[in-house]
Amino acid sequence: MPEVTVRNLAKTFGGNSVLRDVTFTIRDGEFFTLLGASGCGKSTTLNCIAGLEQPTEGAITVGGRPFVDTAAGVFLPPEERNLGMVFQSYALWPHMTIAKNLALPLNIRKVPKEKQKTLIHDALDKVGLAELSGRYPHQLSGGQQQRVALARALVYSPTVLLLDEPLSNLDAKLREQARAWLKRLQEELGITTVYVTHDQEEALALSDRIAVMEGGNMIQIGTPHEIYERPAAPEVAAFVGRCNFLTGKVVGHDGMRYGVRLDCSGDVVQVDSDRNIAADDSVTVAIRPERLEVVPPSGTVSGGNRLHTEVMTSSYVGSRYEYDVRLGGQAVQVLSSHGGLTGRVDLVFDPGQALLYADKVELPEEQRDLLTVNS
Amino acid sequence: MSTLTQPTRKSADDQAATFKPPRYRRPFGVGRDQVVQYAVLAFLAVLVLAPIVPTLYQSVRNRPLYEAGGAFTLSGYTRLFTDAGFGEVALNTVLFASLTTLLSLAIAIPMAIVVVRTKLPGGRLVALAMQWPFFISSLILGFGWIIMYGPAGFVSVKVQQVFGAVPWNLYSIPGMALTEAVALAPIAYVFCANALRQSDASLESAAQVCGAGPLRILGQVIVPLLRPPIVYSAILVFSVSIETLSVPLLYGQPVGIDVFSTFLYHNGLQSVDPDFTVLGAASTIILVVTLSLVALQAKLLKDAARFVSVRGKVTRPRKLDLGWLKWLSIVCIWFYVIVGALVPIAGLVFRSFTLVFTPLQSPFKTVTTQNYEMVFDSDNYVQSLWNSLIVAGVGSVTVSAIAVLAVMVARRSTFRLGRAVEYLALIPQSLPGIIIGIGFFWAFALAPFGVGSMLQGTIWAVIIAFGMRALPSAFGSVAPAIMQIGGELDNAARVSGADWVMTFFRVLRALVTPAFAGALVLTFVIMLKEYSPAVFLSSADNNILGTTMLSLWTQGRAGSVAALATLQIAITAVFVALAGLLMKGKHHA
Repeated sequence: MPEVTVRNLAKTFGGNSVLRDVTFTIRDGEFFTLLGASGCGKSTTLNCIAGLEQPTEGAITVGGRPFVDTAAGVFLPPEERNLGMVFQSYALWPHMTIAKNLALPLNIRKVPKEKQKTLIHDALDKVGLAELSGRYPHQLSGGQQQRVALARALVYSPTVLLLDEPLSNLDAKLREQARAWLKRLQEELGITTVYVTHDQEEALALSDRIAVMEGGNMIQIGTPHEIYERPAAPEVAAFVGRCNFLTGKVVGHDGMRYGVRLDCSGDVVQVDSDRNIAADDSVTVAIRPERLEVVPPSGTVSGGNRLHTEVMTSSYVGSRYEYDVRLGGQAVQVLSSHGGLTGRVDLVFDPGQALLYADKVELPEEQRDLLTVNS
Repeated sequence: MSTLTQPTRKSADDQAATFKPPRYRRPFGVGRDQVVQYAVLAFLAVLVLAPIVPTLYQSVRNRPLYEAGGAFTLSGYTRLFTDAGFGEVALNTVLFASLTTLLSLAIAIPMAIVVVRTKLPGGRLVALAMQWPFFISSLILGFGWIIMYGPAGFVSVKVQQVFGAVPWNLYSIPGMALTEAVALAPIAYVFCANALRQSDASLESAAQVCGAGPLRILGQVIVPLLRPPIVYSAILVFSVSIETLSVPLLYGQPVGIDVFSTFLYHNGLQSVDPDFTVLGAASTIILVVTLSLVALQAKLLKDAARFVSVRGKVTRPRKLDLGWLKWLSIVCIWFYVIVGALVPIAGLVFRSFTLVFTPLQSPFKTVTTQNYEMVFDSDNYVQSLWNSLIVAGVGSVTVSAIAVLAVMVARRSTFRLGRAVEYLALIPQSLPGIIIGIGFFWAFALAPFGVGSMLQGTIWAVIIAFGMRALPSAFGSVAPAIMQIGGELDNAARVSGADWVMTFFRVLRALVTPAFAGALVLTFVIMLKEYSPAVFLSSADNNILGTTMLSLWTQGRAGSVAALATLQIAITAVFVALAGLLMKGKHHA
């Protein structure tokens, strides 16, 4: 199984740049996910690997074989790349039976008929649909179609498997089961896999490594743990999981512990960070709702920071309670296991649980409006 | 590079020794995909430029193109306006086209609104009835109108008997415009009706909630939203009436009213010694006019987005209730359908079964099949019937296949010049039929390797000219059907190892078949009705129904014309019915 190297990939449509200088390497046998909102360039990146789109600039190499190199004028058309791909719509050819769908790539490769039979049977067996080979795609359920599409992508032993949001057309319950199944299958086959999704949960659950993309840039590559715990940029923190952003100014620091005066309330909070930030710099404190805790004003909880706030709304969301609390002029979201709090409460968090980013984070206007509270 | 590729091959061999990834040969870096794509582009370019370039060239040569030793001249253009009286012709044309446009919009817009947006008894029947021009050519409609409403027409004579005078004169520019408007109104109707059907009904509900009544909603919400289809269809109707030959020829000839197309007809065909330079100059000017109309249309369509009220969500349009006005609407609509189309066609069919057709003597007295016997007794007429069928049969298959190819290249490939292919396939829309005829006539005179003389005067010349004229319609019918096939199906085939050509043959061909069949039916009917490019290309051997009817008409043999026209309508109807049955059967399988 080869590794995939992408260097300085860029793509422009007209004057519109949808992909900017993207570079990454996917290791042999790795499950690699491109994660981002729609229009971030993740599908364009995948299509460039597949050969369905030509990059404006950059090079892609798979197992040492150059697929694209704009500098050298190399472009290998998709049909000669020997990749397997599953599309969002599954793209099963509607006028062919399942067996015929799987036979087509084998026919193109001039595999003898006898051999084809066993290969098709094995591939369908792998996805648990061997008995349906005579059916037409429209006679199958969505989940079955998705598995057939996967079998078709695997039947000719491609070098790399490309998955373009393959689970997005399944309903929520089925999607979770399909996710676990897909993970098992990939580990069993050990095939290098590139997965595109906008669903952060899916990305976290499936991937060996995740690349988070935004506006055509790759902003962070890391393991699911790294991405969630140490997001390299506020955009990553905002996209993967939920996050509160509080802007402020550094008032001083003691080693790696910084004191930050928050703009919204004037409180000073302590935040740990290994970044080098000078006093008086504008910063943003990012903290996830589940890392915050609300306690009654009298209650004692160990934690470095304690801020006086007021509950605006609280709602029960199943396993936990979700609070919107007013911190000065801003709403802050908290996920807590304590229910039934109202009125004045204290917001508590540990300096190590918050993240510090240089510069102020500019939220989109609509979001900012929703978070601003009139006092 | 070679050291880098070494390890992969090895691992690939270990992994799947049984089969290799596909390889396609690309001599000089050009694969068969590109060969096909460039071939389609080149073919369309030659086809479209063949009639245009010689026309432009002829307009500045002082001798016919088929004669040697011509020289450059611009006198064609000056003579056109001095001796040939082209100024008056242009004026007539503008008058005729403007009046036609106004009248057809006046018929179509209210009808579209009433049928689509209000509760109208029998609305679906009207929508169906508006498809009549698909079966009947404007030439046949012209015959029908003259037989019924002409100076000696059945209705005119009856009115003369009863009232002592006939308040209309068909052989005039308003008369021509009225007939043409009746024939073209369905085009405008279809554009407006589609726009109305697609527009969001919640816009109207919003107005209703605000307290607006049905008439206010019509005037302030619905009609303003119709501006793009109105402008679009107005330009379309205008350009069609500029190039139409049938009605102006039939009505204008007896009284000497000339428009663009009849001017070319008279000067090119009926004069003893045609002045080809003047003819070329006139054609060039007409070409410039029609091409700029298309450019205008394209420009207007570009910024039509602000009128778009189509959203992803499908809403079931709620229909307004017009009260007593709806009965008036019904009367108006059926008056148009019956008087405009049904009566003339019925009269024409009746005329084909009788010898004398006038209210002065009961036509039933002379009921006969003699008209048909005369047609079938003459080898020439039977030949023209066969020719029409061959042209439509061979032509529709070829044109539909070319259209599928062109759509595949233009819309379903990564070919850089795909846009150019699309434009080339659509340009013939703006070329007047008669100019396509003249253009090919000259093109055959210029064509190298004796190709021209091989084609000139044969049925192949007619097939080429008609086929070119039907190509835009075929493209227009194939493109949306093919675009409905998800693009990921192609991508899946490409990634699985098929190149573009193989993707078409292994995967898309079966899926494209319905689109091909649809285009086939459409182009068959179009090519069966077509005749104007043939007037310059016809000879004794390659006459088709249209040209035969025209020459019979000038000989005053209305009975035979009526018989041939009836046959043409019957063939069309039977063909469409059979095709509908066949396609329905396919769907069930």
